[in-house]
Amino acid sequence: MMKNRSSWMPLVAVQLLLVGAFGAAYLLANSETRSMVQNELPLIKAERFTPVPVDRKLPIPISRPYQRDDLISDEDLAMVLDQIQPIFDKHQMKPNFIEHALRTWGVDATFQNPKSISGADMLAFLTDSARFADSWGKEIKPFLEERPRGIGIHWGTDTGASYHHDHLLACVTEANAPLDTPIYGPSRRDATLYNVLQESMRDFRLDERETEWTAMAFGLWICPEKEWIGAEGRHYSFDLLAERLMRGERTKGVCAGTHRVYSLMLLLRLDDDFNILSPDCHKQVYHYLEGVRDAISASQFAEGYWPTNWPDGKAAVETPIDEPEYRRVIATGHHLEWMSIAPRELLIPDDQLKKAMDWCIATTRKQSREDINKMYTFYTHIGSALSNWRQVRAADYWREWEQANPYDPSREAAVFTDQADKADQAAKTDSPAEPASALESAPAVETK
Amino acid sequence: MSTIVRNNKDNNVSRMNHEPAVETKYLTEDGQPNVALLQDRTPGWLKANVSVVWLTIALAVLYIYSNVLPVWHTDLWGHLNYGRWIVEHRAVPQLEPTMPLARGVPFVDLPWLTQVGAYEMIQAYGVSGIQFLNGLGIVLVAGLLSFCVYGRTRNLGAALLTLVAFYWGSYQQILVVRPQLAGLVCFTFVLMMASSSRWRRWYMFAIPATFALWANVHGSFIMGLLLLGAFTVGRALDVYRHGKKWKLVLADRGVRGLLLSTELAAAAVLLNPYGIAAYAEVFAVSKNINLTSLLEWDPLTLRMKQGQAAFCLALALVAVYRMSPRRVSAREVLLLIGLGVGMLWHSRMIIWWAPATAYYLGLHTAAIWQRWHGPRTKVSRSGGLWTVVTLGIAWIAFAYTPFGVASVHGREQDPRRAEKKYRSSVSPLTPIDLTDYLKRHPPIGLVFNTYEWGDYLQWAGPDGIQVFVNSHAHLVPEQVWQDYLDVSRGSVNWQDRLDRYGVNTVVMELQGRDALIKQLEDSAAWEKKYADNKGVVFVRKHPLE
Repeated sequence: MMKNRSSWMPLVAVQLLLVGAFGAAYLLANSETRSMVQNELPLIKAERFTPVPVDRKLPIPISRPYQRDDLISDEDLAMVLDQIQPIFDKHQMKPNFIEHALRTWGVDATFQNPKSISGADMLAFLTDSARFADSWGKEIKPFLEERPRGIGIHWGTDTGASYHHDHLLACVTEANAPLDTPIYGPSRRDATLYNVLQESMRDFRLDERETEWTAMAFGLWICPEKEWIGAEGRHYSFDLLAERLMRGERTKGVCAGTHRVYSLMLLLRLDDDFNILSPDCHKQVYHYLEGVRDAISASQFAEGYWPTNWPDGKAAVETPIDEPEYRRVIATGHHLEWMSIAPRELLIPDDQLKKAMDWCIATTRKQSREDINKMYTFYTHIGSALSNWRQVRAADYWREWEQANPYDPSREAAVFTDQADKADQAAKTDSPAEPASALESAPAVETK
Repeated sequence: MSTIVRNNKDNNVSRMNHEPAVETKYLTEDGQPNVALLQDRTPGWLKANVSVVWLTIALAVLYIYSNVLPVWHTDLWGHLNYGRWIVEHRAVPQLEPTMPLARGVPFVDLPWLTQVGAYEMIQAYGVSGIQFLNGLGIVLVAGLLSFCVYGRTRNLGAALLTLVAFYWGSYQQILVVRPQLAGLVCFTFVLMMASSSRWRRWYMFAIPATFALWANVHGSFIMGLLLLGAFTVGRALDVYRHGKKWKLVLADRGVRGLLLSTELAAAAVLLNPYGIAAYAEVFAVSKNINLTSLLEWDPLTLRMKQGQAAFCLALALVAVYRMSPRRVSAREVLLLIGLGVGMLWHSRMIIWWAPATAYYLGLHTAAIWQRWHGPRTKVSRSGGLWTVVTLGIAWIAFAYTPFGVASVHGREQDPRRAEKKYRSSVSPLTPIDLTDYLKRHPPIGLVFNTYEWGDYLQWAGPDGIQVFVNSHAHLVPEQVWQDYLDVSRGSVNWQDRLDRYGVNTVVMELQGRDALIKQLEDSAAWEKKYADNKGVVFVRKHPLE
């Protein structure tokens, strides 16, 4: 009997040793290793992504350092804002337009024009599947995607999708929507913007085609956190994001490479307050932006605009490329926008700024509402930029402006008729305009 | 020289017969020591015989061949890069440290010990040090298999067949010098212990110790655990088949020994710098999507040379099993079928199947031989003389290799001869001249390179060269890998992708990259700066910042 018992002892001892060894190895491992192990366990299949703590209810505000009424008058700003009021057909509203309108006007925007969509309504369109379905019907794929661990955005080139990855998140963030903004999916009603943010961090891949909006959204929410672990276990940081934004040929980024400049500028500003970049990376970003400053300083045309091949510097002016006006609107509006939050050392001379603004104002003024609505997204950047240069939020300024200059339906009708006449005349006298189809299709390729 | 020698017994007999005693002569007539008086005092276990000598000759040939075989141009240099990194930083990496596009990617570098060892060897002895390690590993595996078969069967032919079958089955895999070979040595050692006819107590310590080492030299320890698992189950089935009682199974010494060894081995694996992450890493790598585009992770087919070898070996195996009088154990069936299925799934698995197949092929061939020719009656004479001969052969084999020469005479001092030696010791596909060009003209920014050359460019190229990918494909982010494949095939968007990544230099192997090379030649944005019979370097005319 004794012999029998003792013969079982090694077996029991080894089982204990085995359990103890694995238990200790697991307990002594860091959280990353544990999640890696859990991820490989077939029954658990835990994710490697670790949710990033967000210690704020509202996104970090980026101050506008300049009040340049010497460069842009009240009337000009009002005219531009008037042109980019969010007046859209409620049927099949393009998410891309609403996103741009929302980031420009903010969630608290209100308009006296009853056709304009308020900030609250725009936010509801983007965050409530029912409101989206009201506009698009139920045949189309839902804008808000319910995923196993969060809620994501349907993005890409599909009809009714957001054009760019994390564009919605960035725009809603810039519009100052709170983190607890309800997100109503097709069947889920318990999610908030926080869940969208975490899902975005979960499905982010550094080498995806566009990272401009991801960088902005993450920066405005998660600072002072500066590192996180993605779903595939990769260690991300704002250094990596900044390096990714600086990577490659300058015009290859979205909107002729201007969005990455804005995102980099934003990260640099955030770094001033939260120290999210390493000193070496900060230097690289600053140097990159200096290069952009020098390039646009050399590539500005006498009329004030920048071409989309602005990185070519002086050569861009000497051997101009043939491109439609809207592409110049893209380049010029975006450059004015990033400079509106840049430190003084990264600005081009005042006279060049003035010329650019004048060109933007003149170009916006001459557009009919119909034309604006075709290229709406590009013109919103002009509106945002000019508001910033006046150190105001578009919604606040417009509210004050409308108090002094109340909405007059008859004036809008007159303007509309006048613009329609001008358009007819132009069509008769000018050389053949760019085919409408080209204009319509252009934003799908180029727009932010 | 000849003399009459009698021992004491003979002397006593002579006296009894009243014959004159013969005097023992310690010196011969010419004054030399009388060697005929010498007795063989070699310990029994050290005594060799002529079969051992023949086996040693075969292994010596294999060793010399492996030592002069030029080292393959992939993988090895990547491991040396990591070895260098570990030595310089005195720590194992937690994140991939050498590829700019893989920054932040977690890295469980299980072969760290092999990498450090190989790095130290190449530092001390040049490439010959690596050739030595490779030859040693191959001979250890072949030696373990063939000597084990010989030890169990006393059949030299079967032992030599084992050696040949192993090498034939796995030569394409072991051609690439990498830490996997260290894993193969461990695998074979465990196979020999687990398959021995008698379970020895010291296996309980030797097997876990092997796994503790294995987890630090290569991630293939999981194959060893599968082997032990198959053997445990197989042994249990065999015992149950005979006794039809589970109680007997649990009481069987062999089953217990294997079971406990498996468990202890599983625990011993945890003794590595990454701890329990070693297990997770093994499974994660096996599922990595990037590896599906690599040939060695494809299923085995008859179009492959190793597929043809596997087919022939499998046929031979079927034949010997059909004829063998030797009892077929469940463990060998489980092992061979399990590894065989794995091999069909991923051709790379042939490296584990081949030694097991060779081993059982040898054992069963010996059994057939015995059946046909009866038990061996003539036993080879063993003695210290054969041991000396064996050692002599081993020394000659060692001394006649590049490593032997380097360790005895020191490294080549003449730069021209050293250069010549270096060129002959690396694969002809190694981009030596191209790398020299890059060292003279260091590239600016990211270099789009042939994946097979990434390691060598990092090892021998200019300091801080930023390669696009290297042979550690599982560490490359998926999107980067897809873009690499698209560009290297010369797909429509190749230029756009290179622009987006900011690539200023393209380094391409000529073989199989015609489409991209043609497009680069035709492009106005790129200029061919260097070309030889192996590869080509293109540089962007206007480099991106």
